Amino acid sequence: MNRRNFVKSVGTLTLMAPLLIREALAAVDQPLVAVAEGSDYTAITRRAINAVGGMKKYVKPGDVVVVKPNMGWDRSVDLAANTHPLVVRAVVEECLAAGARKVKVFDNTCNDSRRCYVNSGIENALKGMKNVECKQIEPERFKKVPLNGQFLKEWELYDEALSANVYINVPIAKHHGLSRLTLGLKNVMGIMGGNRGYIHRNLDSAIADVNAYFKAHLTIIDATRILTAHGPQGGNIADVRVTNKVIASTDIVAADAFATTLFGLKPADIPLTVAAHKRGLGEMNLDRIRVVRV
Amino acid sequence: MKNPPPRISQLFFLAIFLVLFVMTEYRGQDQINAAVNSFFRADPLVLFSCLLAEKAWNWLLLPAVLMVLATLLLGRFFCGWICPLGTLLDLVTPAIRKSAPISLLKGNARYWLLIPLLSSSLFNLNLSGLLDPIAILLRGLTFLLYPLLGLTAREGWVNLYQLIGERRDSLAPAYNLFRDNLLPFRDTLYPLAFFSALLLIAIFALERYETRNWCRNLCPLGTLLGWLGRFSFFNRVPKGVCGDCGKCRELCPTTFDQGILNKSECILCLDCQTGCPHNRITFDARLEFLPERPLVPERRVLLGGMASGLLLAIPARFRSPEKLSRLIRPPGVRDESDFLKKCVRCGECMKVCLKNALYPSAWQAGVEGFYTPLVIPRLGYCEYNCTLCGQVCPTGAIPNLPVSAKRREVIGKAVFDKGHCLPFAKRIDCIVCEEHCPIPDKAIRSREVKIIGFDGVPKIVKEPYVVDEICNGCGICEFVCPVETKAGIEVFSVRNRNPVAEQVSSSPHVDAYGQSGYGSK
Repeated sequence: MNRRNFVKSVGTLTLMAPLLIREALAAVDQPLVAVAEGSDYTAITRRAINAVGGMKKYVKPGDVVVVKPNMGWDRSVDLAANTHPLVVRAVVEECLAAGARKVKVFDNTCNDSRRCYVNSGIENALKGMKNVECKQIEPERFKKVPLNGQFLKEWELYDEALSANVYINVPIAKHHGLSRLTLGLKNVMGIMGGNRGYIHRNLDSAIADVNAYFKAHLTIIDATRILTAHGPQGGNIADVRVTNKVIASTDIVAADAFATTLFGLKPADIPLTVAAHKRGLGEMNLDRIRVVRV
Repeated sequence: MKNPPPRISQLFFLAIFLVLFVMTEYRGQDQINAAVNSFFRADPLVLFSCLLAEKAWNWLLLPAVLMVLATLLLGRFFCGWICPLGTLLDLVTPAIRKSAPISLLKGNARYWLLIPLLSSSLFNLNLSGLLDPIAILLRGLTFLLYPLLGLTAREGWVNLYQLIGERRDSLAPAYNLFRDNLLPFRDTLYPLAFFSALLLIAIFALERYETRNWCRNLCPLGTLLGWLGRFSFFNRVPKGVCGDCGKCRELCPTTFDQGILNKSECILCLDCQTGCPHNRITFDARLEFLPERPLVPERRVLLGGMASGLLLAIPARFRSPEKLSRLIRPPGVRDESDFLKKCVRCGECMKVCLKNALYPSAWQAGVEGFYTPLVIPRLGYCEYNCTLCGQVCPTGAIPNLPVSAKRREVIGKAVFDKGHCLPFAKRIDCIVCEEHCPIPDKAIRSREVKIIGFDGVPKIVKEPYVVDEICNGCGICEFVCPVETKAGIEVFSVRNRNPVAEQVSSSPHVDAYGQSGYGSK
């Protein structure tokens, strides 16, 4: 190498360095999304959790853990309106195995909560498990908290979610009439009280506000079967597609972004994902997400 | 004091009544195996008024036929052995000091209640439930006492939370046991709560004048049973009061103030037998072909009662039209006049209603519809997969339908009010109604409309619309509408309540993202 070339290379390198370093760091920082596939839903849930470091990484012995599925509708398991009970059960079992003192499972339902708990299959799936609570929502437990968001300045959130050591978000991937899809970010509505219909006038911003304030430690999206139309409650088996996947990530936006692709959509098609990404709640660009298939 | 068999039976049936009352609620099962409706199905007053009104046989009321037969054989034992209201009266009456009986209630007062009730049934006005003792008791419990219990307990529990916060959880198991087995799931306030309770309290207040005052002198069920009971072949021996003792006058809760046992009033409590100092009294079975006279009350009362039934039935039909538009009946009720013939206004459907959609009508359905159930969607909606009201209805006024059929039953149709509905009135997104609409193909849909917002900025808003053909009027849209007070969508009553067509779910389906549906991976 002659001097001229050496100076050139050094110059280029010096100029490029910050960019390269950022790229290199980004590759390391790329959020991890684990996607487990298979028809044994208990097994794929476990594999997805293990691929993001195992439950012990999130749950420490003695922790109180909230596992928040979507069980908002009085629909049977096959209709894909609620999180699959086997997925919920597997997550709860992993929490207990990691040493959780108590695991609480609840949702602020849309239909009659008793029917939702029963017909989602979740209450039954957890029946008899020690240190597991599957309680109905108690209205007095909603606490007004200062969100200081762009749309919502304050809102009532459920105190059991607020006070838990670990919060695990276990939504189902499905179509939604207003927000197109409901995934991890929107599942936070299950800990919201008050007149939830009110926020629909600015849904994306409102949900981003709550997610900015209240963050799940882990998001596990049930995509064992997905609802492709007439969401969020469906009711027609023809709208259900069996996809046999469970998606796990600590980055809620990244998990949502990947789940979006199951519907043949791009993350940018979902305004809520975009809004959350812009707020810095997570990564939505698929090429900056590390997808691990297990 | 010993416990004679009638006392044990009374307490047993009171306990059953209360247990069934608490069981008349969703407890994790789609089917309710036993409910208070058993009491109404065995109620001869309900039987006769329904038969007269429907002019047709109703299999649901078979137990009442058995009760009629039993009463013909045994006498008016229902009042002294089974009736839960009678039992409650017996429990409290010793604590109430008596003044003289009210003379106005003596004589034919009870016939003036019973005969018009039955005769108005003949003219399609079935009011028997208004004065049926079990219905009065049930409504008092359902509309006032039970919500009161629930609210008090729950508010105490909530106050405890505000006091000690999450530490309350240590007491939770005890409270949960109480809550899950005894308390109503949701606290509801009902119209007519005070009236229902007043009626009940009035019956207890009547005990100030004489024992079993209501039962002897007013109760239409008791009067009917007494009339049937006079044919029974159970006879007390001796019939009258013995000259040397007369203790029966003191022991008997009903008939011995007249010095002789009137079969139509004797409730077979056997107090005279157990209390007789001389052990003289027996109740013997013997055939006697001379039932008590007079068999029918005076002609004046009979004809007058029947005429007043007619007079009651016709003007009671008046209804104000603007109230009718919101007169929404429980699911499966397709014809209003059929419904009124069968409904005994017992209040069970309102007790069991999962989302507290059903309330007693105070004036919305006119005089003839007093206490009949109606849906107030703003307070509660008809849950899509629930069939409980039909299950507990004792007379089939609300038909007991399988869930697949019930889902298609039309109770009304939803209509948007563009002055209130946000996408129209404020030009902003909302469609909470579409989200909640339970019809699989959505009876509420929306279309994207390019519109200029009130701030002058062009935008796209989803405007909802109702697909009438598949709307069943369940009312969840009105219930969840986030507009404050008056909703932007409301359910209105419709005359044509033919069920919506069965949805074809097996056909190949193209989903919202243009991909074909079920099964593809």
